[in-house]
Amino acid sequence: MTDKPDHLNILAPQATKAKLDGLHRRVENVAGRRLSRREALGLSGLLMLTAACGSTSTSSGGGTPQATGGGASSLTGKPLENHLEIFNWSEYDDPSTYKKFMALPAEAKAGLNIHETYYSSNDELLAKLNAGGTTYDIIVPSQNAVAQLIQEGKLMALDFALLPNIKYLDPKFRKPSYDTSGKFHVIKDFGITMIFYNNKIVTEHPTTMLEFYKLLPKYVSKGRTNVLDGAEEVVPLALMALGLDPNTQSASDFTKVTNFLMSIRKGVTTISSSSYIDDAIAGKIILSQGWNGDVRRIVQGRQKEGDITAVLLQGASEIWSDNWCIPTTAPDPVAAHAWINWLLHPATAVTEMEYHNYPIPIPSAVSKVPASLRTDPLFNVPSSYTDNYHYILNVSPQVVQQRTQIYTQFRAG
Amino acid sequence: MVGDTKTLPEGRTRKRRSFHPRYPAVLTSPSLIYYAIFFLGPLAILVSFSLATQTGFNAISYGFDTSQYHLILQSLWLKIFERTLVMAAAGSILTIIVGYPIAYWMARHLSTYKMLALMLVLVPFWTSFLIRTYSLKIILDSNGYLARYLGINIMYTKYAIGVGLVYNYLPLFIIPVFASLERMDWSLVEAAEDLGSNAFSAFRQVTFRLTLPGIVTGALLVFIPMSGEYIIPDILGGGKYEFVGNVIGDQFTSAQNQPFGSALSIGLMVALSAFVAVYILLATKEERFGA
Repeated sequence: MTDKPDHLNILAPQATKAKLDGLHRRVENVAGRRLSRREALGLSGLLMLTAACGSTSTSSGGGTPQATGGGASSLTGKPLENHLEIFNWSEYDDPSTYKKFMALPAEAKAGLNIHETYYSSNDELLAKLNAGGTTYDIIVPSQNAVAQLIQEGKLMALDFALLPNIKYLDPKFRKPSYDTSGKFHVIKDFGITMIFYNNKIVTEHPTTMLEFYKLLPKYVSKGRTNVLDGAEEVVPLALMALGLDPNTQSASDFTKVTNFLMSIRKGVTTISSSSYIDDAIAGKIILSQGWNGDVRRIVQGRQKEGDITAVLLQGASEIWSDNWCIPTTAPDPVAAHAWINWLLHPATAVTEMEYHNYPIPIPSAVSKVPASLRTDPLFNVPSSYTDNYHYILNVSPQVVQQRTQIYTQFRAG
Repeated sequence: MVGDTKTLPEGRTRKRRSFHPRYPAVLTSPSLIYYAIFFLGPLAILVSFSLATQTGFNAISYGFDTSQYHLILQSLWLKIFERTLVMAAAGSILTIIVGYPIAYWMARHLSTYKMLALMLVLVPFWTSFLIRTYSLKIILDSNGYLARYLGINIMYTKYAIGVGLVYNYLPLFIIPVFASLERMDWSLVEAAEDLGSNAFSAFRQVTFRLTLPGIVTGALLVFIPMSGEYIIPDILGGGKYEFVGNVIGDQFTSAQNQPFGSALSIGLMVALSAFVAVYILLATKEERFGA
């Protein structure tokens, strides 16, 4: 195993980055573990505050004030700008990816420099964009935020003439349900939701989400059980377990899922997406949902004991993705396209996957990552599974409100 | 105007006593402006949010829509309000039970080490709130000593939240009570005992009554932040025991529904104001009868 799951990768320090990471590290020290980037918790508010402080000093470089319109063809022939403003999840790209990009011939000639700030949840990203006045060239929203931003007209239609490397991308990932036209995003990487259990305690072999839920009440007295938190996880995952559409708008579906969730609620010890990784590695969790990247770390962490069985679910489950997008207000759209194109290059994708351990759907790159990663189904999830999985979307404010209410009821008991 | 200075010996002057303010009120304007911008301003925004109508994700149109306030009256939200206030009240009472004896011991029995004891109470308070809460997680762990040897396995229940509340806010209670015990004239207790009172009734009739303002202040200082607690229920309750703070957070972040989140915040403020009103009533009563 060449992987170092506990290795903390930190980018070259920039003013804001140092401040943010100081906080990030402090929180991690508190938590005694590395926080996954998908953790919202209550800490995101804290991070948001620091991010807000940092954002006041982000206006560096020579960006033109406003790009007019979002027309795709308007960019061809325009010169490369000398600045790129990225708003990203923390520690989500290999440091060498940035350095090599700035050293590319055209980019070096333009004297392009990159400035990057960070967020810790999609909510934070959406709130920032909604508040306006941002000068981001690149943002990295998850699938539900992409769909919402398209609806709100905040994303620039990409100019594919500037993205020749798109040819390397698996065509199956070009037009997903959250961007059916495929015009507004390029997928960065993806993951899935699965389950794991302690095979010395749980004697059954659950293979579907429904079987997982039904085992909860039986095993809660034997140890800690856990489900992922958040209205956008709890409700759609339970809907899928019942064979229903995770993005349903139907009132009767919501009634069904509420009744189902309340019936298994007594079987749940914790509702958490943040504390389950280290606790599971410490052997404290006997039955839980988890994201594949996290479960992979848990299995590695329990290798000596060998008591964790990880299950890629049959039938429906969640697939999520993070995506490269350009806001309509981006001051440096040509540089933003150049960046996305660079990330689509198979050699870059290999470096990236080795860094963050999430699959990028570029087949020629996946075939080049080390075998320990490539042959691990928890990394390279077979498409026979993902073909049945669904993206969870923010369908409408009403649906999201309904999910939040059911989630609150589930938590309140 | 300076008055009759010649009658005073050694050339001392006496200022004429005036009950008028000596400085113009306009000097407070920096404070008032600060207060208006950073307290009343956000409050006004919150109120206008709560009366707006949601038109999309993170999008609202301002108006006078009171429907969000009607929504609060649904049993789900009322249940969470009730739970929050009951937990905060129980937490405050437990804090009194735990904190008063410590403050009493510090004020009455310690002399040389009094300041050291005070430091020991305060020092944990200077460390991060999160660190303290996570350290409780270790102590209360189901595989920890408490659970294994004493059978106290309360992790991820409301009892764990209760422990977290008391522990995190204890210094806020001890300090005002310690201050009022320090100010107390202990000869009054001696007098009560000389007049035939036993130790307990002397405490009840003298010490307790004289320190009541300190207790009320301390209890209020812990009750209000406990009601707005967000982190402790999340970490120690395993996400299964929500306070109003968590629900408000969910409304602003995952539901992206500012009007309802704002209405819930104002609902909490109104509920808390009732308690503050009781406090002011009690406090002025003390003043009237002379504590």
